[in-house]
Amino acid sequence: MKTPILEIEDLCARVADKEIIKGFSLTINEGEVHAIMGPNGAGKSTLSYVLCGKPGYEVTSGKILFKGKNLLRMTPEERAREGMFLIMQYPVDIPGVPVTTFLKHAVNAVRKHQNLPELDTMEFIKLVREEGKKLGISNDMLKRPVNVGFSGGEKKRLETLQMAILKPRFAILDEADSGLDIDAMKVVADGVNAERNEHNALLVITHYQRLLNYIVPDFVHVFADGHIVKSGGKELATELEETGYAQFVKEK
Amino acid sequence: MGGLLQNIKLPGDDIPWLEGLREKGRCVFAGKGLPTAKTEAWKYTRPRDLQADDFVLETTAGHECHCGSNCDCEKTCGEGSVMPFEAYELHFENGKLQHEHLHLPQGVTVMPLMDAILQNEDIRGRLGKSFDLQDYPFAALNTAYLEEGVFINIQENISPDKPLAIINHTHARHDNLLFNLRNVIVLEKNSRATIVEAYIYSGAEKSRYFANVVNEIYIGRGAEVRHYKLQNDAYKAVHISLNAVKVKAGGNYEAFCLQRGADLARNETHVVLAEEKARAKVDAAYHIAGWATVDTTTDIEHLAPETTSEQLVKGVAGGNARGVFQGKIHIAPHAVKTEGNQLHKALLLTDEAEIDCKPELEIFADDVKCSHGAASGELDEEQLFYMRARGIGEDEARRILIDAYLEDVINRIEEPAVRDWIAEQARQK
Ligand SMILES: Nc1ncnc2c1ncn2[C@@H]1O[C@H](COP(=O)(O)OP(=O)(O)OP(=O)(O)O)[C@@H](O)[C@H]1O
Ligand SMILES: [Mg+2]
Repeated sequence: MKTPILEIEDLCARVADKEIIKGFSLTINEGEVHAIMGPNGAGKSTLSYVLCGKPGYEVTSGKILFKGKNLLRMTPEERAREGMFLIMQYPVDIPGVPVTTFLKHAVNAVRKHQNLPELDTMEFIKLVREEGKKLGISNDMLKRPVNVGFSGGEKKRLETLQMAILKPRFAILDEADSGLDIDAMKVVADGVNAERNEHNALLVITHYQRLLNYIVPDFVHVFADGHIVKSGGKELATELEETGYAQFVKEK
Repeated sequence: MGGLLQNIKLPGDDIPWLEGLREKGRCVFAGKGLPTAKTEAWKYTRPRDLQADDFVLETTAGHECHCGSNCDCEKTCGEGSVMPFEAYELHFENGKLQHEHLHLPQGVTVMPLMDAILQNEDIRGRLGKSFDLQDYPFAALNTAYLEEGVFINIQENISPDKPLAIINHTHARHDNLLFNLRNVIVLEKNSRATIVEAYIYSGAEKSRYFANVVNEIYIGRGAEVRHYKLQNDAYKAVHISLNAVKVKAGGNYEAFCLQRGADLARNETHVVLAEEKARAKVDAAYHIAGWATVDTTTDIEHLAPETTSEQLVKGVAGGNARGVFQGKIHIAPHAVKTEGNQLHKALLLTDEAEIDCKPELEIFADDVKCSHGAASGELDEEQLFYMRARGIGEDEARRILIDAYLEDVINRIEEPAVRDWIAEQARQK
């Protein structure tokens, strides 16, 4: 019997008074990798923000259970501490806040929630340097303000570093491959794969089959107009690469 | 007990020029009175209530600590240092200079202002010569009470190895103390010095004291002053300071003032770039809450060609606090090839907090580069969410972002030890 991590049932959500998610249902079990593919503007990023509790994204109906708990009652930070993680499509710049300061606050907030002792500066620096090294993140980069002046590839590496340090139970990758060259994509994919185990799960949002060669999905879903229109195995991704989304998009 | 202008006996009243200067201060202040809503220079920062308050003045140059033995000011009253970095420390307790022996390097003179008046001929040509009393009501009041303060002189080509720190420590009292400080700082040709000024308070009492300060700073040819200030007075206190600075050819005035305390505060800096290639950098930051009104006012006068000035002022206002920035850049005719830049940015943490900003450019010369800008905003929702999505609590995320907001302006402080100290003081309490 598989244990579900995330159960989404008939979710409807809107942003800026616009209905974007329209009857979305999906269950993700421990150890599984799900991929979502779909045309621009379908609502994929909106779905990931709804899952993370971003203010302004209003759930109008439906329910979401995360590890059996009502996700919608939790604040964004509670969700993160419970193990929800999002590699953002557009990571945010935070001038004045060095990567290490930011990460130390984050990791200790999560550890505290899990009743683990907080890491002291030495322990933390050691951890962050080790993990950073695996992802090709220099010590110099760790001292810079979060994402400020980072290249597209560097931003995604930093997102992956955060995932490696926070060790989430459920991670969403929102176009983790966009803007990356082949080598950088491999680094990110390897970083993500290294975190996989039988107790956590991934939701990979991408436009390209390419990433899915590295992070191999158990299920692929086609997402259009706010909900899943087709589901299949990993071969569906290859199929979409040839056919495109035209067959799923409503005639306007 | 009485109002702001009281008849008290001051030392040195037998020196005609000194008594004449005090009398002029009294006349100007009595004539003009406190600024009102109609006083343009004070339209945002109203020194309300001051008239009604009873103030106590103390004139005998007190050497001893006023508080009992159980007071926590021992560390400042006694020997030893309070600054977290090496400095020649001068301690004022409730507005009175504590006489301590300083081992100063050759070419550096520091003495109580009254001693300088009695001994030093040069001071007569300096005292009250860096600004016009008519323009500054509180400096006029300060002049009426001329007595306390220090005279600092750095001789030609000398640069002391450590900063000179003027530490003003005020502690809880039941009455409202008014103290007037006048510091005269002279840098001779090609000398350099770092002056640190700190206003700190201890005690639980809601003390409504009034610190009224005037610094007159004379920077000789090719000389340089770095002037760093912390204003962290009691939350019911009034703090008004005028820094009147004159810079000669090739001289440089570099200032940073962080304001954190007081109920009503103004740090006003008037720089006259009197000769060619004189420079000034007048930065400031404030981080305020409660019902405080905290004002940063600057007036940079470019009187000669190729003079430059820059100002970055950043503030954070929460609660019902009000941040005021008034910045004037004046470029006189013939002051060609000058450059003056000014930027004020503020972060508003609540709907009730307020920022008032008044930039003023007066340009009478051609071939100059001038800019000014102002912006105010709220905490960035995207940044807050990003941090929360990583598990950082909302309050903590806000605190981190607030601290980060002042980071860039604080980083412009050239001296690392002072920079760290200011950064620490600027952090959320
Ligand atoms: N804050 C907002 N205000 C108004 N409209 C929004 C907002 N956020 C998203 N939308 C709209 O919602 C729709 C879905 O956007 P979303 O970013 O979720 O798409 P996506 O599937 O991630 O697209 P892409 O593949 O281009 O990343 C778009 O039409 C977008 O313009
Ligand atoms: Mg998207």
